[in-house]
Amino acid sequence: MTILKSWVVNIVNLFHSVKDENLKWQQANQDAQAKLKHARVLAEKALEAELKKKSVKLEHDINLLKTKHDAELSMFKTKCKQDIKDYKQYLASLDQLKASIQASYIHLPEAVAFTIHHHAKYLLNKMWEAEDFEQKMQHEMQLIRFMTTVHEDARLHLEGATTENLPERTLNLIQQQ
Amino acid sequence: MELLLWLAVPGLPNAFTMLGSAMLLSGFAALVIAGLLGLVKIIVRAMLDYFSAKQRAQRRLWFVQARQDQVKRLFYFKTQQIKYFSELNRKRLLKLNNRKHIRSLSKAIDKDLLSIKPKLPETTYQQLQRDNVRFRKQQDIESLLKLQQKISTIV
Repeated sequence: MTILKSWVVNIVNLFHSVKDENLKWQQANQDAQAKLKHARVLAEKALEAELKKKSVKLEHDINLLKTKHDAELSMFKTKCKQDIKDYKQYLASLDQLKASIQASYIHLPEAVAFTIHHHAKYLLNKMWEAEDFEQKMQHEMQLIRFMTTVHEDARLHLEGATTENLPERTLNLIQQQ
Repeated sequence: MELLLWLAVPGLPNAFTMLGSAMLLSGFAALVIAGLLGLVKIIVRAMLDYFSAKQRAQRRLWFVQARQDQVKRLFYFKTQQIKYFSELNRKRLLKLNNRKHIRSLSKAIDKDLLSIKPKLPETTYQQLQRDNVRFRKQQDIESLLKLQQKISTIV
């Protein structure tokens, strides 16, 4: 019986000593622990504040972006409208080209006039559909050269400088391209 | 058992089995309760974390970012749309113009045909005329030009 009692007492003592150790440790490290806790809370707060700031900034950016996009879209729209207008004018001037060459060469077959006009339209479309600026310029030069050649032919024939029945130089140019 | 029976203490084995099963049951109950408590603790902690200020701010940031992406995408698609409609408009203009000139070419072919009508057999004339109308309807430029050439060679 005494053995059992001493056993129990031993165990209880052990338990108490462990608790004492723990208490002592906590006492020794209380400051550090408090500091750690504080630091953790602070870090969390800082992170939260940063996130909030980011959100607000982003929202502001979105508003800016929206207004910018609106402006760009309306500009793009007007540009497209202008492009269409230009295209219309180009078509009208090509029609005029056809009319002028038909007026100067009275006996010009309709098929030839049609071919010339069609080629001019082909050049115009190529210019319109070109992706980069350089190609566009190149095609535009081609178109302008073609148009001037046609006008030149018409003018020369009207003035009686040539006796050809057909605008030979224009047709040559079509064949070249 | 034998020993206890031998000790001749009736009722003791029964008491021991009762005690044993009660301890077993209470042990199980303690385990289950501990588990449930742990579960509840985990859930509560997760909920608190989910609704903590940091997490809320993080979610808000994600939401705003998603909206920014959306705005950007919307801009891209709007430009695409404008481009598409302007291209459609241009194509329409081109088509109108083409139709006009094809009509005049077809008219010229008609005139040519009429002028050489006396030299042609009736069936050929009709065939050529039908071709002309068909090509005009199909807006077939190549075939119309070929037809014109054919007629001019007949002359």
